[in-house]
Amino acid sequence: MRLRAAIYPAVGCLLLLGAWEVAGRRGVLGNTFPALSQVLAVYADGPRRALLGRSLAATLASAGTGFAAGVCFGCLVAMFSHLVPLLRGGLDRMAVLVNALPVIALGPVLIITAGREDTPAALASVPVFFLLYTATGVGLRGTSQRLEMVFTTLGASRWQRLAKFEALAALPSVLSGMKIAASSAMIGAVVGEWFGAPSGLGVVVLNSMQNFQIPLLWATVLVIALITLSGYGLLSLAERAARRKLGECAA
Amino acid sequence: MAALALVGVTRSFLRRSAAGRRESFTALGPLDLQIGDGEFVALIGASGCGKSTVLRLLAGLDEPTTGQVQINGQPPRNLQAQQALGIAFQEHALLPWRSVAGNLRLPFEVAGRAATDERIGELIALAGLKGFEHARPAELSGGMRQRVAIARALALQPKLLLLDEPFGALDAVTRRRMNFELERIWLESRPTTLLVTHSVEEAVLLADRILVLTQRPGRVRMDVRVPFARPRAAALMRSAEFHLLVDELTANLESG
Repeated sequence: MRLRAAIYPAVGCLLLLGAWEVAGRRGVLGNTFPALSQVLAVYADGPRRALLGRSLAATLASAGTGFAAGVCFGCLVAMFSHLVPLLRGGLDRMAVLVNALPVIALGPVLIITAGREDTPAALASVPVFFLLYTATGVGLRGTSQRLEMVFTTLGASRWQRLAKFEALAALPSVLSGMKIAASSAMIGAVVGEWFGAPSGLGVVVLNSMQNFQIPLLWATVLVIALITLSGYGLLSLAERAARRKLGECAA
Repeated sequence: MAALALVGVTRSFLRRSAAGRRESFTALGPLDLQIGDGEFVALIGASGCGKSTVLRLLAGLDEPTTGQVQINGQPPRNLQAQQALGIAFQEHALLPWRSVAGNLRLPFEVAGRAATDERIGELIALAGLKGFEHARPAELSGGMRQRVAIARALALQPKLLLLDEPFGALDAVTRRRMNFELERIWLESRPTTLLVTHSVEEAVLLADRILVLTQRPGRVRMDVRVPFARPRAAALMRSAEFHLLVDELTANLESG
């Protein structure tokens, strides 16, 4: 049964990739739609592979830095607002405000404040911060009412409650937020690179588009998609493991 | 000398009327009751009569709308701060990532007191869970989890033990066995105890005194002493006196 469950998606993927190949060769979608084999050939080509490798490293560094900063900051601010309920209303509104700003509109502002090199990481961190602030808050507030009452009757301080119970109970929710934030970080980094970063996959996308290097453009986009998907997949696994380990206490 | 006193206590809640307006309704009281030091009192009544509200008021988890709740002359919040309250609920409410021993250590950690291996060992023995020290709650049966929750409630030798339907989720056979287990555990330290339960038999089996609440708003309809000597044996449940008392209480419950 497990085998069959794996076969259907695999067959579906192969059919789709086959259709891509045929459509590309026939040129039915125009000359900006290359065949899959032409795109894959880019990875076999030494100089272009090296370019993609260097650019990938730069983008991963920006996205990773922005992701880490956004996660840390989002979790910490959420815990702070949980410990000091007086601030929660204001912090919630601030987070919504941050999220309402279009990343694109922030770009030029960051260029003149953070500089071209750091803009990708800064843009990556903004949506990550919002997602983690929200997910952590939901996790901290969605804990078992009975366990909360046990901690109250034990005379636990807010800090003890957070450290011994709520922070751990919120972990699956935090990981779920990270799972979604991973793709946001990648989008933020790539868009940030469009504002004139020295290197990165976003730069390659822009240059290959302007120079009409269609297979390279597609090959770059494919790399971005694969990185985003694997980030999502890895964090999904982590989330599932945490839910199993930490049990039913978020109920 | 009453260890615990409710004086003219009522608790009202807001609800939406049929016409969609918000209105206040009284769920409990006025209620006056006193419980002596070391007394085991069972509170029975129909669903929604406010039994659990009484327990929450005593635990300091809720405030009365009018009247006063005092434990040894102090408000319940003070008892929280002194770590003198033990509480156990119908659902076990254990930390799922901690072992049995880890869960029993929690009250000591929160209170900043040393949890010696000896004391934790005593509690594990009290709960009858030797050999399960390192098991997680998910690996235990429902009855075992409840024993851990009760042992945790007793860990700091509380002045007041509050039990809210602790065996409500168990099957009848396990529940009966747990009743005798609870009496054994309780006899070791005899804290003042309030047990909220649906089961008349459970109340008669365990309590020194039984209070029957009326339907909403809950008031004391009946206040009975249970005359049976402790420890109570399974044979008691087959005696005529036992059934007479159960029948009398049940009749009072039903007449609401």
